Amino acid sequence: MSFGEDTSEMCLFNVKDGFLEAVVRGYKLGLLTTSDYNNLCQCETLEDIKLYLTGTDYGPFLANEPSPMHTTTLVDCCTRKLVADWRYLRENAGEPMGRFLDYCTYGHMIDNVVLIVTGTLHERDVQELLEKCNPLGMFDAIASLAVAQNMRDLYRLVLVDTPLAPYFSDNLTSEDLDEMNIEVMRNTLYKAYLDDFASFVHRVGGTTGEIMSELLSFEADRRALNITLNSIGSELTRDDRRKLYANFGLLYPHGQAELAVAEDFDQIRSAMEKCPPYQAIFSRLGLGETQMLDKIMYEEEVRQLVNTFEQQFHYGVFYAYMRLREQEIRNVMWIAECVAQDQKARVQDGIVFTF
Amino acid sequence: MKARLAGATKGHSLLKKKADALNMRFRQILRKIVETKEEMGRVMKASFFSLAQAKYATGDFKHTVFDSIDQASLKVKASTDNVAGVRLPKFEAQREAGGAADSKIGLIGLGTGGKQIQECRKSFVTAVDLLVELASLQTAFLTLDEAIKTTNRRVNALEHVVKPRLENTIAYIKGELDELEREEFFRLKKVQGNKKKHTEAAEALEAAQRAKGGGAVGNGARENKAANVLAAEQDADIIF
Repeated sequence: MSFGEDTSEMCLFNVKDGFLEAVVRGYKLGLLTTSDYNNLCQCETLEDIKLYLTGTDYGPFLANEPSPMHTTTLVDCCTRKLVADWRYLRENAGEPMGRFLDYCTYGHMIDNVVLIVTGTLHERDVQELLEKCNPLGMFDAIASLAVAQNMRDLYRLVLVDTPLAPYFSDNLTSEDLDEMNIEVMRNTLYKAYLDDFASFVHRVGGTTGEIMSELLSFEADRRALNITLNSIGSELTRDDRRKLYANFGLLYPHGQAELAVAEDFDQIRSAMEKCPPYQAIFSRLGLGETQMLDKIMYEEEVRQLVNTFEQQFHYGVFYAYMRLREQEIRNVMWIAECVAQDQKARVQDGIVFTF
Repeated sequence: MKARLAGATKGHSLLKKKADALNMRFRQILRKIVETKEEMGRVMKASFFSLAQAKYATGDFKHTVFDSIDQASLKVKASTDNVAGVRLPKFEAQREAGGAADSKIGLIGLGTGGKQIQECRKSFVTAVDLLVELASLQTAFLTLDEAIKTTNRRVNALEHVVKPRLENTIAYIKGELDELEREEFFRLKKVQGNKKKHTEAAEALEAAQRAKGGGAVGNGARENKAANVLAAEQDADIIF
């Protein structure tokens, strides 16, 4: 990166994207803080949680909810807040930021497409499926996905107009829809998406490229780790497993090769520990404590996301904001579940503090 | 009649035994139900918590699970159990070793949270096992309850209605027979007394005639005739 490019980025970023960056930094201040979480943990009922959240940025979204609260309604309200924020950002974004924001939501879009496709294969009600879709991953033609009866139709009629088209055409053939396991399909698509996203941020370059590739490689590595962990003992072959790993990340390619052949947790561990950042993570983990791994990974992710706010003039903050909000929604859900199920002793297990 | 009474008594004691047996089983089942219910509460709590954990890790995975399943892997088999002649329905959970379904479920949440989903599945399977057991116990409980009620009703009916009625009848018949006997005895006595009186009167008359010193022959014939009439009367009385 030449000095000139860097300077011009600093000079010109605010011309187009300065406003939105300011907005997103404003949104960031609305994220729940540690003291908020501490207060939420003290709540005795879901009503208390609602009352407390009304005092935060979620207020307008929760105020009109009728009284018998459920965890799902609570989570829905919080999601609505994120969606509203995101729509506002997207509507005001110019290029190439608009594309960047779209890229952030492709992951949800993949989930939605997979949901609808499998749902239709099993003849479920489309309306019901649409309600279950993540609102961030919605696109106009999504309802018409249900029309397609086989992969070729699906691709020809619907998907070709969506941004997901290349992922489908490059990785799946028409026979796959019926034969391949849906989870394998989902992860194949996700891998293609991550690769594409990585090359996109690389093209954008500058601080954005730098920061985003860091975040994305962490995401890719975490997925690789999770896939390995979850596929131990299943029928997934090593080659299949290898195909689901993204083509970048700190583990690429040697670490992934080791992960692909790992058969138990210790082998995974030794594969991961060859990479210095992950060695630190695994050293926090006692022997045999696989349960805590998820939480530690979440914490690591949150730490990286928060760090993106330290730098200015880049798009990473938007991605970070979305991920932080999602983590926050998960936290709220966890607290609400613990309160609703009278398991307050375990409330700390699921919360990942952001600030 | 006596045979019927004996039958009733025997039936009563048998039914009583059955009722006792049923009651014993009933108590057993009741105890088991209480235990299972407590266990159920615990397991359900743990299951729902693990569901929450899985949701935390994966988001909403309900439809993914729905869509990857086409046949139940757990089936409930109904059979009957016999306790003292009462048929109790019994349910058993049967695991179908469906390779395809298992492998499909095994891959759910491959990207994130697969392990939590498996945990969740495991705990819910134990919950279902418990539920089936509880259902079996509950239906057995209800059927037994019904059976015990009818048995008790029968026992009570035998004890308080049939047996007293039979006893009453027997007592009445006995009383009636006694009375007949007594009447007969009395009548015999009376007849005997009458006979005695007549013979005494006849003897007195004869003695008086003999004392007169042999009266007129015609007189004697009349006396004879009168005696004959008396004798005929006496015959009729006996016949009667």
